[in-house]
Amino acid sequence: MELFRITRDAWGQETLAGVSWDLLPWFVGAAAAFIILHALWFLARRPGKGAGR
Amino acid sequence: MSNESPASTDQPGHVIRHRGPERLYHWVMAISVLTLLGTAFLPIIGVKFAWVDAHWIAGVVLLGLVLIHIVRATIWLDVWSMMIGPRDISDAWHAARWTLGAGDPPPLPGKYPLLQKGYHAAIALTVLALLATGTMMMVRIDVPFWDRNPYWLSPPTWGIVYVIHDLSAMMVLALVMVHIYFGLRPEKLWITRSMILGWITHADYASHHDPARWKVDKGERE
Repeated sequence: MELFRITRDAWGQETLAGVSWDLLPWFVGAAAAFIILHALWFLARRPGKGAGR
Repeated sequence: MSNESPASTDQPGHVIRHRGPERLYHWVMAISVLTLLGTAFLPIIGVKFAWVDAHWIAGVVLLGLVLIHIVRATIWLDVWSMMIGPRDISDAWHAARWTLGAGDPPPLPGKYPLLQKGYHAAIALTVLALLATGTMMMVRIDVPFWDRNPYWLSPPTWGIVYVIHDLSAMMVLALVMVHIYFGLRPEKLWITRSMILGWITHADYASHHDPARWKVDKGERE
């Protein structure tokens, strides 16, 4: 997996063009994983403990 | 600021949590951020359209909103109520112990709990990085304010600007997903309602906030 997007300029030199979009699913996946884990943790904890906090 | 004694749970009326200008700011900011995310990432996942104009216009709207918010929060609002302090760290330690089954329940927070303060700090820093780099990138396109100048910075410097902008954009996408999740959670709907209608009930105030840390004055009751 590439971390950066690299392009070539008019003179053939490599230039940094940004972060690889291959990372996009990792950011979305991290947020989705956090949401799922939080929802599971909330369901699993003792009833009434901290409800509403 | 003249503070009054804490409200009781059976008191009629409401406690104002977010005034009209803050709610307007939040929702217009939400529209501009969602527009920015859509015009940034939809073309990347294959939805092709002319996105540049909508993107920079939404960016300029967001920049204006953030500048207004910074001035308003600094001068007219209690900016310290959103700052993370030593007491928040102590409360977080109590909360972590209590969550793991040890110790007493953590003390109630002031107007904003630590997780809200942490989220605000994270999204604020990320959006500021986005706005700074996005404003610089506008130099490279023709806009009503100036003619494009792609040679303003050297190619390696532009590369760093792009990297910061791209990383910040993906971070904002992840943060917005988490924000919407918490906004829709049943036990958080009283906060979401306050961002729509402005108020919380006195019962919400008494059960979720320490009146000594968020003193409600006359102007915050209705």
